[in-house]
Amino acid sequence: MKIINKSEFLGLMEKWISSPGLIAPVNVAQTFRSADKEKNLIVFKKIETKDEVLADYLNTVKPVKDFFLPPSTVFDYERKDEGYNFNLSEVDGKETIIFGLRPCDAKSITLLDKVFSEDSEYKDSNYAKKREKTVLVGLACTSPDIACFCTSMGISPFSIAGLDALIINFKDSYVINTVTDKGKNLLGSLGKEAGREIDEEIKTLEESVKLKIKKTCNTSKNLESSFESEEYWTKVSNSCLSCGVCTFLCPSCYCFDLSDESAKRIRCWNGCVFLRFALMSSGENPRATKKLRYRHRVFHKFKYFREKFGENLCVGCGRCIRHCPVKIDIAEVVNNA
Amino acid sequence: MHENIYLPNLCKIEKITDETPDVKTFKLAFLDESVRNNFTYKPGQFVELSVLGEGEAPFCLASSPTRRGFIECSIKKMGKATQAIHDLLEEGDVVGIRGPYGNGFSVEEMKGNDLLFIAGGIGLAPLRSLLNTTLDNRTDFGKITIVNGARTPKDLVYKYEYETWQKAKNTSLHLTVDCADESWSCMVGVVPKALKEIKPCCDNAVAIICGPPIMIKFTLPVLIEMGFRPEDIVTTLERKMQCGFGKCGHCMVGGIYVCKDGPVFNYAQIEKFKEEF
Repeated sequence: MKIINKSEFLGLMEKWISSPGLIAPVNVAQTFRSADKEKNLIVFKKIETKDEVLADYLNTVKPVKDFFLPPSTVFDYERKDEGYNFNLSEVDGKETIIFGLRPCDAKSITLLDKVFSEDSEYKDSNYAKKREKTVLVGLACTSPDIACFCTSMGISPFSIAGLDALIINFKDSYVINTVTDKGKNLLGSLGKEAGREIDEEIKTLEESVKLKIKKTCNTSKNLESSFESEEYWTKVSNSCLSCGVCTFLCPSCYCFDLSDESAKRIRCWNGCVFLRFALMSSGENPRATKKLRYRHRVFHKFKYFREKFGENLCVGCGRCIRHCPVKIDIAEVVNNA
Repeated sequence: MHENIYLPNLCKIEKITDETPDVKTFKLAFLDESVRNNFTYKPGQFVELSVLGEGEAPFCLASSPTRRGFIECSIKKMGKATQAIHDLLEEGDVVGIRGPYGNGFSVEEMKGNDLLFIAGGIGLAPLRSLLNTTLDNRTDFGKITIVNGARTPKDLVYKYEYETWQKAKNTSLHLTVDCADESWSCMVGVVPKALKEIKPCCDNAVAIICGPPIMIKFTLPVLIEMGFRPEDIVTTLERKMQCGFGKCGHCMVGGIYVCKDGPVFNYAQIEKFKEEF
């Protein structure tokens, strides 16, 4: 691990703004005409000036997945003599640095990779191009909140999974842990060796942050036995509004719609908790009730995905718990199933 | 196919055949010659057909891969996309095709067996693909029995092929309708009832069944009673399918993506699925 003076690092980041381009967390609350100006509305945004960049925040409201799987991707086409011409300019694959994602979000990218870039038969070329061209520089999390449970999901607030480099806020400096070649190329020449003493201090810091996380999710639990319990799934989904905020804010949810509308093909997010998600044109809806939909969501995350890919489709970021309007707590739902 | 998995290849409509008042068969040929020549598929697989700007929907391939240079889809007017397909498209028009998707029937494993085809309505479409494949390789298979049902004589599809099927070696075709009219001379009654009258032999036989859920539901117990093993009863499952390659999530049942892991399953596999079909 290397250590670097904060101002020196911020100076470097300023250079990234113009080249190759920087995406980082920004508080956009001021730009909304709501009464919530005091609130933190932190999102990833393309950075224009260095003053926008935040270094102190819990986590972004929206996860970093938006950048790789945009809420909607539009493929324009135009009619030609015989057939249609697809306009694919959307996929430019420009180099970009994403700074400031938390280790939980970085982990979620490794889960999305399994579906979109590591599927050799049906690889999403847009996604793969963006992944290839992006350097992910994470920021270790030192103040998790009550909804966080990453430590139950096999990661920690200092995890490097999915990151090219991890930055740790350490006193008046940053400690840099370069992980991949991309990370080394970007940051390898910076700062000086941290030395064993600082390495030890970082480990102690990591342990102390882990201890702040009180929430647990028992993923070793066999959900199978709860499957048939109509009573249980009715009870836990009873207050659900089917609003879908859990799926849209989830860094690892990836279900989508593919549709054709007036000279556009649109690939946009959808979610399994919506009433019409599984509705067929025959009128039959295999998941017409909330209990079936919510059960499917939990089983996909904690059983089906694990059976296929060996990992849960959840990173414990806590967004679905923090933002659920009726306070449904997925960790508790799993624990009590 | 297209480098971008979300985008279709273009096909020209060579011919439109009216099958029934609400079913049309579209014969399509890829505009790109290399795609046209290299497009291969298995019976039971499907494609996503789009009327660009109007909608896209999944349809099984009703043509046989043994007959090259074109593909066919039989389409019933149901929702938004099929409405557009029926109302807007004419011969010579261009549509988008993505695919083929899905597992398809295990034709190799069926070789040497007797085959019992059971179809209801438009459910004959995927079976026709398999049937014509087997007829084009007739010596590889044993006796072929076809039981084809529809609501009324008007709702029978592929009538122009019945004669060929009837004349094929060691092949019998049984037609039944729920409601007959004066012209009707074949069987009357729902498919499970017809099946009981026909009494097909289950020895060394595979039953392939496709049709409305209600028909499948009442036919399965009849087949079991006749002695068919669940492993030897093959059907195709219906779910909302959009991407076709196991990502978008609409067709997921249990941990299975019907579009990619299916749509062809045997009854033994279906019995293990926890969610209701």
